[in-house]
Amino acid sequence: MTRRDFIKTASTATLSALAAGFPRALLAAPEEKIKPTADTVIVLWMGGGMASTDTFDPKRYTAFAPGLKPDQVLSTFPQIDTVVDNIKLTAGLENVARVMDRATLIRSYTAGDLGFILHSRHQYQWHTGYAPPQTVAAPHIGSVIARTLGPRDPAMPAFIDIGQRFDLGEGEELKAFHTAGFLGSEYGPFIIANPEDALKSVRPPAGMSPDRFERRATFYNKLLSQSPVGQLGSDYQKESLLRSLDNAHRLLSSPAAKAFDLSLEPKASYDKYNTGKFGLGCLLARRLTEAGARFIELTTEYIPFEYWDTHENGHTRMVDLKKSIDAPIARLVLDLEERGLLNRTLIVLASEFSRDMMIEGKPDNKVKDQVEVPDVINEAKHYGMHRHFTDAGSVLLFGGGTKRGYLHGRTADERPCKTVDKRVVIEDLHASIYRAVGISPKLSYEIEKRPFYVTRDGLGQPVLDLFA
Amino acid sequence: MIIWAGFCGAAQASITPQQAAQLPAPAGHSVSFAKEIKPIFEASCIKCHGRGKEKGGFRLDTRESTLKGGDSGPTVLPGKSTESLLIALVQGFDPENVMPRKGSRLTPEQIGLLRAWIDQGAAWDSSVSFGRLEPANLKPRLPAIPPATTAANPIDRFLEPYFAAHNLEPPEPVSDRLFARRAYLDVVGLLPPPEDLETFVADRDPEKRNRLVERLLADDRNYTEHWLTFWNDLLRNDYKGTGYIDGGRKQITRWLCSALLTNMPYDKFVAELVNPTPDSEGFTKGIVWRGVVNASQTPQMQTAQNIAQVFMGVNLKCASCHDSFVNDLTLADAYGLAGIYADGPLEMVHCDKPTGQKAELKFLYPELGTIDSGADKAARLKRLAEIITQRQDARLTRTLANRLWQRLMGRGLIEPVDDMEKAAWNPDLLDWLAEDFAAHNYDVKHLIRQILTSRAYQLPAVNVGERQQQDFVFRGPAVRRLSAEQFRDALTRLTGSGYPSPAAEIPPSESEQKRFAPLMAVKWIWNDPHAADKAKPGHVYFRKTISLTSVPVDATAAVICDNSFTLFLNGRKVGSGSDFKAASIFDLRPFLQPGTNLFAIDAVNHLPDNSLPGAAEPAAGTENPAGLLFYARLRSTIGGDAANAAEDDLASDSSWACTNVRLDHWEDPGFVPHDWVAAVVLGDVGTAPWQVSRSYLAARLAGAYPGTIRAALVAADPLMVALARPNREQVVTTRPITATTLQALELTNGDTLADLLKRGAENLLTAPSAAKDDLIPTLYKKALGRKPTGPEFQLAREIVGQPIQPAGVEDLLWSVAMLPEFQLIY
Repeated sequence: MTRRDFIKTASTATLSALAAGFPRALLAAPEEKIKPTADTVIVLWMGGGMASTDTFDPKRYTAFAPGLKPDQVLSTFPQIDTVVDNIKLTAGLENVARVMDRATLIRSYTAGDLGFILHSRHQYQWHTGYAPPQTVAAPHIGSVIARTLGPRDPAMPAFIDIGQRFDLGEGEELKAFHTAGFLGSEYGPFIIANPEDALKSVRPPAGMSPDRFERRATFYNKLLSQSPVGQLGSDYQKESLLRSLDNAHRLLSSPAAKAFDLSLEPKASYDKYNTGKFGLGCLLARRLTEAGARFIELTTEYIPFEYWDTHENGHTRMVDLKKSIDAPIARLVLDLEERGLLNRTLIVLASEFSRDMMIEGKPDNKVKDQVEVPDVINEAKHYGMHRHFTDAGSVLLFGGGTKRGYLHGRTADERPCKTVDKRVVIEDLHASIYRAVGISPKLSYEIEKRPFYVTRDGLGQPVLDLFA
Repeated sequence: MIIWAGFCGAAQASITPQQAAQLPAPAGHSVSFAKEIKPIFEASCIKCHGRGKEKGGFRLDTRESTLKGGDSGPTVLPGKSTESLLIALVQGFDPENVMPRKGSRLTPEQIGLLRAWIDQGAAWDSSVSFGRLEPANLKPRLPAIPPATTAANPIDRFLEPYFAAHNLEPPEPVSDRLFARRAYLDVVGLLPPPEDLETFVADRDPEKRNRLVERLLADDRNYTEHWLTFWNDLLRNDYKGTGYIDGGRKQITRWLCSALLTNMPYDKFVAELVNPTPDSEGFTKGIVWRGVVNASQTPQMQTAQNIAQVFMGVNLKCASCHDSFVNDLTLADAYGLAGIYADGPLEMVHCDKPTGQKAELKFLYPELGTIDSGADKAARLKRLAEIITQRQDARLTRTLANRLWQRLMGRGLIEPVDDMEKAAWNPDLLDWLAEDFAAHNYDVKHLIRQILTSRAYQLPAVNVGERQQQDFVFRGPAVRRLSAEQFRDALTRLTGSGYPSPAAEIPPSESEQKRFAPLMAVKWIWNDPHAADKAKPGHVYFRKTISLTSVPVDATAAVICDNSFTLFLNGRKVGSGSDFKAASIFDLRPFLQPGTNLFAIDAVNHLPDNSLPGAAEPAAGTENPAGLLFYARLRSTIGGDAANAAEDDLASDSSWACTNVRLDHWEDPGFVPHDWVAAVVLGDVGTAPWQVSRSYLAARLAGAYPGTIRAALVAADPLMVALARPNREQVVTTRPITATTLQALELTNGDTLADLLKRGAENLLTAPSAAKDDLIPTLYKKALGRKPTGPEFQLAREIVGQPIQPAGVEDLLWSVAMLPEFQLIY
């Protein structure tokens, strides 16, 4: 059997089984059959700590006026109505407000107690379900899904990670969880640092024409057939290498690759999304979902003291941040709905924790303060939520079998605006995401002879209220 | 991650008469402990109460411990089954406290047997103990080498009966070419240079394979730069990463390189890691994470886990939270070892819940020696190092022998390599290798030599996949894949396009210091005899012309200037520097040409506040020391015999011309200097205030040949990450072997490789010696160790184009680099 024949005759199942290798999947309990309600997950990551009281959980509004006391300020944006009577948002999210009838909004997400606030550690915990460090490299939730479910379209990487660069502050710490960890790099993220460059990642290298790319591939195959080792017969290593090259070539020359090309989007639609990098990322996420992506994470990008990491100028920065996310998120929801995909696509907007003017950590578990907040606000730059608050935060869900127009959990009306009802922790949020795609929270993979559960110790419980 | 339920509540000790009436009747015969009771204990009890485990304080190890019972008092009262706690528990009178906790309940028949056994006096066969088993593969054992038939190497003598037992007739060893490729890649991590390969193949000496291994092992630097990767993975040493930025982690690169360069005996190597010096403390310092960390991840616990895994091949990670269920290690073992590194007593934390108990300090295997809890930390560490590195600890040597066997043969004698309590597929061979290693002064190179000179290593490669690990039978080395570093280094050698500078400086070996040392006198120069004391701030321009018959293979310059300089060669800028405490290193090869070459240096003495002097005459009193030191090593071989290769070296001295008047084009070869004067010599290298030592200069010059910097010495780039170079936050002892689609995408369209091949193609086409007709055969010889076949040559000519196109060369390079013949080690 030649290599070509092998590739041709081997079924997809055989190939993925071959590729799967170790580690083996284990189930602690008899396997629960979970009927998936979603085929694709899109995580919209608000990196840096999004203040929920200035976004999805409005409280009493206090306009800026010199002389304000910080503890007088709960929200720096007025409340707005949405198309759902009992759900209010803050000004600046008018587009999202119009699609809230498709949304489930969790206001009671509570981040872990990891001591001194460090964004990358909380992000690690959000993305892996485990607090760092761990004795083995914990996989990203996208890698778990990629490993467990495989790609939806064989030509499309199962886990696509859009918008984060790793050569900036805390880049090394971010790398530690943007990884498949012990599951192996096959399930790692396909990284597109900038959505505008997405095409580049599925195109021949810079400066190489498609013709030359094809010519090189043809030449390679001819050369391969002449190589004495090529005629030595089959071995695991060789098959593995040739199969991977074949897969890569298939992606680079497949119709699915067109999904990466934002220039193919009609201009009117492109413009609707184009609020900058994040907006175009939403467009890319939609196109990739249409083309068969399994798991996409799109981030506003985490850079210390940038974006949602509002240590100062919280209010003014948030005006711009909302502009960048509001229209594209609403557009993404509507476009997926129009294409009949929203029902089978779970969108999860989340952040590592929330923010507050006064409290660092939780009201009953405060941690070392890192932010200067003056006693009196005289300058606009001190107006906004600048401390890191972990006792309540908002998670916004759309589609994928979740309820429509549903509000889950409640926070106190006055400071401390902590969770007072239906607390959701990371294990349960993950269990809910896994449930949507049909994965048991008790699923585990064996590493170093022990089970590593997809939710911490297999203890995650899906929040059934979230589902329709 | 599993949390086993602990035995917590106080058990009910007495059985009421009503309850006694419900018990199954005692068996009506004389009960055999060995045949009827032991199987029950083994199946249902010892998982928690034997083999070192003592849930509820109860150990079933012996009759005595069984009678004694645990936290709830005596378990068995001989002669009185209705009063024995054991019976109450297995019968389940207290629903909160039923034994066994896990698994199926005992049957009435089994309970009847236990009752009868107790009533009959609870006899125990004294040869039976459920206590901790003697740890496997711990003690030294030196099996006799089987008698020689045909094989001479002891490894082969151990394998002859093995092969016979498996009805295997080992095939002929591989060809010289394949052997050389393996040996080069395994010892120094590089492909064999074509000249060396041809000489080797042509050599008629029957001992030539052994001689080649010997020669490669003697190449200290390349050996070091190859094995650095292995040890960096194992000791999780890196150049960037979590912890380094805020001092929560410390590199051990210099120490490690030094240890590899000098082939430090492994017992000493381990002792210096376990009981570190400031240079080697990074390993036990661990990674100090900011914020609150799980009790199982404190730096001391990381150290305990890593010592256990790396040196002893045993998993202590589970036992860091609770008694392990994958081996016999307990929470107390983990804290006993971690506590040695703590400044005060450590409280044991069970799955993040403090237990209130302090662990007694001990090593994992107390049979190897005890640690005095009262001793100070320095004494404890010294003692721990002694315990681990003593001859009686053959786990240490077996673990390394097995790791090296795996590295060189593709699969360990024990797999997985971190589970050294398992049996080897040939225990005699592993035990002997370990003892032989220790007996040879823990010489790692000796161990490598033993393996590489065996016939077993030279057998044809066989197919071993990730899935085929069960029922393994050794038939020969596995087909292996080049590591990320080997792949990248091979491309460097193929294209001449390496990394510009190392992330860490490597201390050169003594022989290198000799080979690369500046051989000529080198002087500090300026345009003013008092410059070492004080000179005017401002520019001084220096020029020196030399003549070369050809471009040297090694052309490396070191420059120090107080305060800053720009170096030009033949009118082109080479680079600049502004640190008068350190020599800047430059690769001059791209700038040199056969014939006349002009060196020009714009040297600047700054103002006392280190600002650059302006155009105006500097104010009085701003004078400060100024000087320039330059050395260029221009030699026809890299690291060759210095004695006959130093003819072109160039040093700063009075033969350089200088001026302080800037004229246009002064740095160009065409410029004719008028009124330039001879540079003034301020003194030798060691002249104050700079006091540079010759050995420093030698070290800097030896530490770098820019353009050939190897991948192990630089931080990971996207290409290496894709090719499975790990993020070294955790110890990595085995990298994944499967090629992945994401890897292939990086290879197919990633920028890192594309840029490298582009520069490589340019190098190949512009290198003066590159006779273009030879490009294809040379590439094949370098990459694959052979000439292209006729059809291959024709295909390659087609792709490179006529005349040769850079893009064609890139595509040929890419295609060759993607061949299994290139990427795999057969």
